Amino acid sequence: MRPYLSRPIGLTPVDIGASYYRADLVFDGVDHSGSSFALRVFFDNPDATHDTEASAENGYVGSVYVFGHGGCFGDEGHCDVPVRRRAFDDRPPHQLIPAKMWIEVTDAIRQLAQRQDQLVITVVPIMPGEVAEDSQVSFQKVSLVTYA
Amino acid sequence: MNNETDAAQAPVVPSVGLRKSVATLAAADVAGLRAALVAMQGISDDRGYQHYAGIHGLPLPGYCVHHDAAGILGHLQVGPLFLPWHRAYLYFFELALQDAGHDTTVTLPWWDWVTDPAQPSEIPAVYAMQSVNGQPNPLYQGPIIDIPDSQWEGERQSLATDTGIDPGSLPAVTFRQPGDLPMAPPRLPTPEEVNNALSAPNFVDFSQRIERIHDGIHVWVGGTMSEIPVAAYDPLFYAHHTMIDRLWWLWQLQHPGAEPPARYLNAPLPPFPSLTVGGTLDINSLGYEYALAEVPFEPAAGR
Repeated sequence: MRPYLSRPIGLTPVDIGASYYRADLVFDGVDHSGSSFALRVFFDNPDATHDTEASAENGYVGSVYVFGHGGCFGDEGHCDVPVRRRAFDDRPPHQLIPAKMWIEVTDAIRQLAQRQDQLVITVVPIMPGEVAEDSQVSFQKVSLVTYA
Repeated sequence: MNNETDAAQAPVVPSVGLRKSVATLAAADVAGLRAALVAMQGISDDRGYQHYAGIHGLPLPGYCVHHDAAGILGHLQVGPLFLPWHRAYLYFFELALQDAGHDTTVTLPWWDWVTDPAQPSEIPAVYAMQSVNGQPNPLYQGPIIDIPDSQWEGERQSLATDTGIDPGSLPAVTFRQPGDLPMAPPRLPTPEEVNNALSAPNFVDFSQRIERIHDGIHVWVGGTMSEIPVAAYDPLFYAHHTMIDRLWWLWQLQHPGAEPPARYLNAPLPPFPSLTVGGTLDINSLGYEYALAEVPFEPAAGR
């Protein structure tokens, strides 16, 4: 599975604010329906792969570990997440609704913002077994979110 | 003094159970835990091990709440129910364990997996030894029996692909691969990582941080623990989750009044009929407490 490489995002006060007390790297829409997996995050290391050592020197800032459901074991349609539900439907939500996860990266962002105006991130999926090289990583969006 | 007569006539005093660290369990505690577990595994109905392990994943329906993005009620948008649901799960499992063992002093111990990076990451010895006194150690692995073939075959293939080990047809047993899977964290959590979680300023943030640590440990243990559908068949699951529950309690003590968002407090926690999110917040009301160890005094000779 190929790593996700972002386009550059701005790190100036105009882009992310000047007085944030916290910065999170937020993953939206993380698919946890299949095997357990990890996402290793590197800052400013577009060449990072699953062979890259997870060290600060390589721009590594953290990992998300996803405890997976391992697949679908019901009949056809059992694991299809409903796109929408009618009002007054108080049944529990589908268990496979994609997740939101985040890593706090406040210190790393502050240090980078002091010396550069832009940042690219590389997200390296670590999957079990044999995975097609051109398959996609299992999240919908990743964002840098700052809080003041 | 006739102790037997006194004991039989003594009133039943409600007492709060002490969940202790695996590392400090006395030999009698471990023996009681193993005996209750064996008894629970010997029950094939809805009081037994297969029933409770199956609530978490397979057989369907699986009830566990992980990565809950949308809440327990369909119209809610964010739902940090991972911690309340698993607290309820442990509560009912522990009661069933006590019933099976006819021993209300048996409690779920917590595996303190916080490990200094300079030390090796390991599974506790009482869970890692294959046999005890010539008998299989029930803490080493658990049986997987009551999953329909149509569901088990899918999970079996998933395990074979993800772990490289085919557990075979049912009945099967759980297995572990500590630190071996490629997606596993390089070691168990450090004190710094856990302290970072405990410093979370609100419940949602704490839940997110501790669930990430929790996920990493499941994957680090590997084998059946690394997949939601069968993780709870491994006896180590309960020691791991008791540690997670304990950390939530420690965080609660450090953050008085910090609760899940108010709109969740009345949310049910299926399939547990008598507990809501709000009902899980006070562990003393659930009849247990966390202690590092319990060392009873014995009367001095002649006293």
